[in-house]
Amino acid sequence: MEPKDRLAHFAVTIISKDRPGIVADTTEVLYRLGCNIEDSSCTMLGGDFAMILIVTHEKPFSKSRLGDEFKALQERTGLAVHLRTLHEDEITHAKEEGELCLISVYGSDQPGIVYRVTRALADRQINITDLNTRLIGTKEEPVYVLMLEAYLPPGMSVDETSAMLEELRRELKVEIGVRTITPVSL
Amino acid sequence: MPEQKILLYPHPILKKPARTVERIDEEINSLVTDLIDTMRAGPGSVGVAAPQVGVSLRLCVVDVSASRHGKENNHGLMVMINPEIIASLGAASMREGCMSVPDYTGDVERATEITVRFTNGAGEPEEVVASGFEAVAIQHEMDHLDGILFLDRIVSLKTGLFRRKSYK
Repeated sequence: MEPKDRLAHFAVTIISKDRPGIVADTTEVLYRLGCNIEDSSCTMLGGDFAMILIVTHEKPFSKSRLGDEFKALQERTGLAVHLRTLHEDEITHAKEEGELCLISVYGSDQPGIVYRVTRALADRQINITDLNTRLIGTKEEPVYVLMLEAYLPPGMSVDETSAMLEELRRELKVEIGVRTITPVSL
Repeated sequence: MPEQKILLYPHPILKKPARTVERIDEEINSLVTDLIDTMRAGPGSVGVAAPQVGVSLRLCVVDVSASRHGKENNHGLMVMINPEIIASLGAASMREGCMSVPDYTGDVERATEITVRFTNGAGEPEEVVASGFEAVAIQHEMDHLDGILFLDRIVSLKTGLFRRKSYK
């Protein structure tokens, strides 16, 4: 068997009212079960804390085993857990070849900023890898900020991407910046 | 001399301060050739430091002239023996990756302009004022001489784009 085939992969999503100890509680369960955390991203959102983890365990290992352990934690602390078994094609990810860029969007709050911008990107095969949004400003003048990182398809330039978003800039009256953040190899 | 294998973290030499080069002899000359060959062989590589090939000496090579970020502003190939930064200016962050720490990148803040004093490959003292990407590359390679990896200098998580609100 290939090394990857020996491992069962799961996506674990946790969301909880924020407090110190959520990460420790969650990873204690995983540690006791002998699971490895392969990749994870966790952040505070509003008054909640959200965790997404890709975990592995030597086969045979069932999702219900994981579920039973988390159920106890769920009952004790009230955090919400969602588990999903990952399939073969979800485990490996292709190496991206295009330019990595950061797109910043901000302006007066209005419905549809995230939708309109991300639809424009999706229609051009621009693949978002990270995204976060925040409502700032005052009650009288709320300002919406959207920051995302995305891979452009090979051959597409930052300038082209910026020009392509010009119509949206005018229509939504928001600032949209596109700049390269392709890592430098040293 | 052939290119050398780049050591990967957790090789302990990568976290160890390197020794000063006392004398430029045949051994140092051949190490310089190896470092240049290794840099040219690495895809998109713009610099290699001696500890990365397993030699704990204060020596690195930098050449950003073929890279997209450095082609407009560079000093070509530089062999830097016992380099020292004697002045630095400004700060900017760039997303860096390192051949010794594959599959990971992070935003690192570096001075935007530096004055470096070093002994060159011919054994002569030299002083260079570097800016932009060349300055970043020199600072990254020189960090290797002190056992510092870019991981030690990451200034923000990639999602930490703006300061968090405080939630009541």
